Amino acid sequence: MPTITIDNQRVTVPEGTNVLEAAKKLGIVIPHFCYHEALGAVGACRLCAMTFLEGSDKGPKLKGVHMSCMVTARDGMVVSTLDEESADLRRHVIEWLMMNHPHDCPVCDEGGECQLQDMTVAGGHGIRRYRGLKKTYVNQDLGPFISHEMNRCIQCYRCVRTYQDYCGGTDFGVLGCNQRIYFGRFRDGTLQSPFSGNIVDACPTGVFTDRTYRFRARPWDLEEAPSVCPHCSLGCAVIPGARYRELQRVRAGVNAKTNGFFICDQGRFGYGHANRPDRPRSPRLGEREVSWPEALGALRRELEIIIAEHGSQAVAFLGSSRASLESNAQLLELARFFGSENFALEIDPERDRAARTTAALLGECARSQEEVRRSDFVLLVGADPLNEGPMMALAVRQAVRAGGSAALIDPRPVELPFAATHLPLSPQNLPEVLKALAEERFERFSARERTVLAGISARIKEAKRPVLIGGGNLLGSSGAQLLIEAARAFSRGDRACGAALLLAGPNSFGSALLAAQSPGPDRLLAQMQEGRIRALLCLESDPFADHPEPGRARMALSRLKLLAALDYLPTETARRCDIFLPTTAPAESAGTYVNFEGRMLPFGSVFDPGVPIQITGGGDHPPRSFEAHTPGSLPRPAWAALAALRGDSLSLAHIRRNLQRSDARFAGLAELEEGGEGRRVNGAGQMPGHGPELPKHPSAEGALRLVVTECLFGSETIASFSPVLDPVRPAPVVRLHVEDGVRLGIHDGEKVRLRTELGDLAVEVRLCEAMAPGIVVLPRLRQGEWEIFVPGVHRDCILQKEGG
Amino acid sequence: MAEVLLTEDQLDHFRVRAAEIAHPRELVIDVLRAIQSNFGWVPDEGVELTGEILRLSPLQVEEVATFYDKIFRQPVGKRVIHVCDSVCCWSRGAEEIYAHLQKTLGISPGGTTSDGVFTLLPTCCLGACGEAPAVMIGLTTYGDLTPERLDEILERERAALEE
Ligand code: SF4
Ligand code: SF4
Ligand code: FES
Repeated sequence: MPTITIDNQRVTVPEGTNVLEAAKKLGIVIPHFCYHEALGAVGACRLCAMTFLEGSDKGPKLKGVHMSCMVTARDGMVVSTLDEESADLRRHVIEWLMMNHPHDCPVCDEGGECQLQDMTVAGGHGIRRYRGLKKTYVNQDLGPFISHEMNRCIQCYRCVRTYQDYCGGTDFGVLGCNQRIYFGRFRDGTLQSPFSGNIVDACPTGVFTDRTYRFRARPWDLEEAPSVCPHCSLGCAVIPGARYRELQRVRAGVNAKTNGFFICDQGRFGYGHANRPDRPRSPRLGEREVSWPEALGALRRELEIIIAEHGSQAVAFLGSSRASLESNAQLLELARFFGSENFALEIDPERDRAARTTAALLGECARSQEEVRRSDFVLLVGADPLNEGPMMALAVRQAVRAGGSAALIDPRPVELPFAATHLPLSPQNLPEVLKALAEERFERFSARERTVLAGISARIKEAKRPVLIGGGNLLGSSGAQLLIEAARAFSRGDRACGAALLLAGPNSFGSALLAAQSPGPDRLLAQMQEGRIRALLCLESDPFADHPEPGRARMALSRLKLLAALDYLPTETARRCDIFLPTTAPAESAGTYVNFEGRMLPFGSVFDPGVPIQITGGGDHPPRSFEAHTPGSLPRPAWAALAALRGDSLSLAHIRRNLQRSDARFAGLAELEEGGEGRRVNGAGQMPGHGPELPKHPSAEGALRLVVTECLFGSETIASFSPVLDPVRPAPVVRLHVEDGVRLGIHDGEKVRLRTELGDLAVEVRLCEAMAPGIVVLPRLRQGEWEIFVPGVHRDCILQKEGG
Repeated sequence: MAEVLLTEDQLDHFRVRAAEIAHPRELVIDVLRAIQSNFGWVPDEGVELTGEILRLSPLQVEEVATFYDKIFRQPVGKRVIHVCDSVCCWSRGAEEIYAHLQKTLGISPGGTTSDGVFTLLPTCCLGACGEAPAVMIGLTTYGDLTPERLDEILERERAALEE
């Protein structure tokens, strides 16, 4: 590790660090624009000049003024940032950069968090000398998320490097050359990349700003806290910002182990759920709004009456993967308090088993997003990262950009932001292919498949840091197990093969760890149907919408004497329950999610819940009237409400301490820094019981296998309640292999009837070549008639031409 | 000038080439120039067609098309006059040449004569520093220019077009 001297201070930095970063380590921040840790150095803005006084004995002798981002720190270098020559250069460069920049910071939405302002001041440029005309540009309409003000551009290229290089977008870039450079699209139109919002964070000036947050607040008026994204199992770091009791925006946080510097658009623009006018904000008994003490008292009384009449097992508790670790743990405390063993922490039986299997077996095979970025071969099996964990797609992209490669075995037509060999096998062949890979026996496959599989197997073996990534939905519990076993089979003494499973929710892993003693949601439902369970308490869970057999779930729920729910979303369960307790949205309370790799990620509370200004002020200024509700009647964190039901009032810190004391797997939780890198859990979960046998395929003549699949902006619960995303909801179309289309006489774009045991649906068909024949791929779309189709279920369907 | 972007033969040729090579992107300039020589300039449809042939997004084609000042994304006259504004030509009287052209043609930089014959554009170094000041008209470079010589050249270019 080289030691260098900067402004008479010595610093030792890891091999390969550039001098700009080395100075930063000493707290010396030299103005710079084009350098970005995730994007690398390009030496384009010419701002980070330093004077090199002594070169190094090793490597080329460097003397004089150089761009510090382009110079690798070497032992013995002596550098000055204070030297008049480089300071003067920086002053002039910033003056050039500012020449065409408008002089209207007060009306720019970047104001208050503008790097250009900061760097201009830091660069020593204060008074403008240029009096000539400035270049001006026509702005483009880039869609609902991003505003464009090209006049503010200083040509640092960060946006293109983020959008194209890092994120793989192809519809936004840099046009023209020389004095006519323009950053935009070929034509006006919505940016197509699901990572488009990152250019807002990347741009150091106000060219790209968050359109959904435009002119809503200055950053210094925002309440912000490091938080964790609640929209999928990856646990990316985010920084939500709130003002006037309203979530105003979300920007990317930095966590080297998870997302790095960027996030996906679902994580960024899925925030509207917290501000909805129809969000339930008061405790309710039936239709009647009541105070917290009354609701808590009534709920406890009702539960006690049922227990007195039917015994402790007559009350059941249903947690979820979107509730925090602490809330789920408090739900278990409550079950224990009432002496009930009937609990489940996920309503979907197969998702429950898949998560529990993963938590039980993953162990040292677990790989973080960061480890995937540094992998040299990634095999995706039944995983559609753009839709099931978007940032994972970018993690693999970085691996491929750095010289690695990737392959995909999946029945669906999976879009990926990187090149990968795609082997479209039918869903029922996925377990077989995992076994075959582990044992290296490919006889059962066709000649073409054999060649591809042998190639994949060879590449895993050659690779130094291979990772197998599976999707919990398609693989299910047995597939997850086979994937992890395959990773073990490919591990050798000199290097291990990693594994990752994309799970359903932000806390799927954590819930699975806690669910060891759970009889599983199937047993719960059966007992509800039999009338043995009389009361169900749902923690941020919506059994009406999320059970794969909606008819059965509805029937079972209708037999309950008492349905109680805690939630922050106006779900069907929240609307129909007998007793309702409003909880805080993720950004309103602190908690912990355990992400897909078993990493505990605690997050802080951004703001206190309250009726947002949208509602109280009707979109206008803060009202000068008094509030009607009693203080304290607002939503509470679920963990607090659950503790209160036991008559306890615990702080979160206390809950965390109890958790780590009683369960060694959570050791260190209470000491973890909120918004920090987090830490993997220390120990495994337990294997769930066996699920039902998969039905044989095809069960009926002419039937196709229905593959329901997660889709970005359409499937995830919390985001589905966020109006900000409405303009980009996916279209309701099913996809079918071209051959099947020919066989059935169905054309691309045709409207047909999809018949299943759940009922019929009129669907539009897209014909595809890059998918397995014999299946129909249907996106999971919430809040509509498609909602009954839940991913991960193996069901047959028939496509019928209209009128046929 | 034909009103098609690419002839059937050209389309076939580029499609076959694009399928053969590892990086079809390297054909961007070839396709754009073919379109330009057929059509006179490259309209939006030309950018989109290029993208379709080479399996690139229109933006990816546009990035290249707008980088080069000799791909025209707007209608131009039948002959484009590129006047070198780099340092060698400047030191040997390019400004005078430029002014003379503007005066005789009656247009300013970027303009096209009313008869649609000439468009005047500045350009960076033409590689003709040895014969500075120089201009390029169409694809022909002319060096050692004086206003008088320039008048003759314009005359000749105009006559050649009329034939
Ligand atoms: S738009 Fe922003 S990020 Fe892009 S080059 Fe201009 S200043 Fe840099
Ligand atoms: S990838 Fe998942 S966790 Fe990360 S920002 Fe997107 S939705 Fe959130
Ligand atoms: S940061 Fe070094 S040249 Fe831009």
